[in-house]
Amino acid sequence: MAISRKVYRMDKHLRQRHLMLSALTVGFAGLFVFSVLLAVTIGAVKIPLWDVYRIILYKLTHIPIGEASFLSKGTVYEIVWNIRMPRVLMGAIIGVLLAMCGVVMQATVQNPLADPYILGISSGASLGATFSIMIGASAVFTGVLAGMGTAFWAFAGALGAMSLVMLLASMGGGRITSAKLVLAGSVVGSLCSSFTNMIIYVGNSNSEDMKTVSYWLLGSMTSARWEKLLLPGICMGLGLLFFLTQGRTLNTLLLGDEAAITLGVDLAKRRKVYMVLTSLLSAVAVCTCGIVGFVGLMIPHIVRGFVGSDHRFLLPMAALTGGIFLIWADVLARVLIANTEIPIGVITSAVGAPIFVYMMVKKSYGFGGHD
Amino acid sequence: MELKATDVVVRLSRKDIVKQASLQVKGRQFVGLLGPNGSGKTTLLKSVYRVLKPASGIITLDDTDITRLPHRESAKRMGVVSQFTNMSFDFTVEEVVLMGRAPHKKALSRDTAEDFQIVEDSLRRVNMLEFRDRSFLTLSGGEKQRILLARTLAQQVDMMILDEPTNHLDIKYQIQIMDVVKSLNIGVLAALHDLNLTLMYCDYVYVMKDGCVVAHGCPEQIITSELIREVYEVDCDVMRHPKTGKLNVVYFSQSEWG
Repeated sequence: MAISRKVYRMDKHLRQRHLMLSALTVGFAGLFVFSVLLAVTIGAVKIPLWDVYRIILYKLTHIPIGEASFLSKGTVYEIVWNIRMPRVLMGAIIGVLLAMCGVVMQATVQNPLADPYILGISSGASLGATFSIMIGASAVFTGVLAGMGTAFWAFAGALGAMSLVMLLASMGGGRITSAKLVLAGSVVGSLCSSFTNMIIYVGNSNSEDMKTVSYWLLGSMTSARWEKLLLPGICMGLGLLFFLTQGRTLNTLLLGDEAAITLGVDLAKRRKVYMVLTSLLSAVAVCTCGIVGFVGLMIPHIVRGFVGSDHRFLLPMAALTGGIFLIWADVLARVLIANTEIPIGVITSAVGAPIFVYMMVKKSYGFGGHD
Repeated sequence: MELKATDVVVRLSRKDIVKQASLQVKGRQFVGLLGPNGSGKTTLLKSVYRVLKPASGIITLDDTDITRLPHRESAKRMGVVSQFTNMSFDFTVEEVVLMGRAPHKKALSRDTAEDFQIVEDSLRRVNMLEFRDRSFLTLSGGEKQRILLARTLAQQVDMMILDEPTNHLDIKYQIQIMDVVKSLNIGVLAALHDLNLTLMYCDYVYVMKDGCVVAHGCPEQIITSELIREVYEVDCDVMRHPKTGKLNVVYFSQSEWG
């Protein structure tokens, strides 16, 4: 007994921080749930809190408070359970996905400026989506391909771009280095956006289509339905389960290639696995709600600023913070201008840019590097 | 623990950097690897610690081909202190040293009291315990180097590979690091540039020039003024110090004596 107490006292530094961070994570999980429950009560239509929670409680537990008919059908029920709830959850899921992918991608390419879209995911997805909206798959393809929706083409575009980037980065032999990846990513990115712009230029300039494209490029949660949550939800769950076990390995990746190898990480293999998985997960996020910028880049940085770089704490905290952030960004998108939806990408950038500048100026956080 | 490299050739962008090199570290030997800049020391070491793949030749750890070992297995037995490379993310000193425990940990296992104790002991051994809460990136080059040694100590290996571990260090810390490594009483393979340190600490040396091992043996027999002139192209005297009884190398300026 005496010995163990002595050990505890001696290594209280890092150990105490670990305990504190664990407590913080639990706190943020609470905040996450609280955000979901609060965001559901906010919207264009004013619905009393009591009604909102009665409906949710009835749906989850089948305990009726009041009339069951009010709790399971009607306009209020539709708004609360079939419109707001999936929308809030979609924000939460996408936020978690993007922040998690951002953290992993930054560690994988050892570059603090990496984001989940670094492998050309966003530009490939934009190309696919623009193609589908402006030209229409049925105009070019027949059979199964012709019948697929925008989400499918966005996903296909994202995967195409990702494969191209990986191919370019591994060309000429040698290992895939982060510098090669970043370069290949920007090459493929500009290639895709030039095609996208060409399609917009020559395609039919139907203003409705243009609006759809721009909504898509800036991200939007308007399409949220329960059935649309299934795929991103499952991906989020599996992704979290996997990456939460990879904390130690992700940490060693940050020490550099050589250190990672000498600490027992099969670097080439791990790096490929992480990159393909994060790209797939971000592609799922992108094809669900368009390109929501800034979250995957900014949230990891902000969280790293107060949690530190240990991925065992950074990853869950960033995931929770990303979810909370997008829930509230979407609330703003819904209510900021009456009767109008602001694309969520506009909100995330408008809120994110000043925070980023503040961190840049504040100096104590050096974006990973130090002068 | 026995580390053995046989006829290793390492090719980088179509050039043979290591042309033909064999060496061996037996048991608890402290083996030095000498040679001028560009002679292939670092490249040879990198192939030993698995960052580079040899084009031919074989490297074994206790008679097992290292390419057959999972990375985690070789990391449990063999630790590396290499020249510090830039890192773009920050950790605390303690976090960096704790990562030395990584090869011994399963994906989900927690850090135990024992791990923290090992981290603390390792930091104390390199005299850096009071730096435990500091941010790694704010340390000086020499301090970073000592933390990296502490990380490798925490790895608790039987074989340590050092690539010019005393670069950037004041002489006090050079001796301190060499003393710490020597006191571990494990197998050591160290690329060194200081011939006097080599004479002080090494049990055996290999000398490389132009990618080949050109001499090897007991340091007292190998480090002679003839060899130094041939390999390093510098004139010097090698003589016995009256107090320590050890050999010392004294270099001559080329303008004065050449």
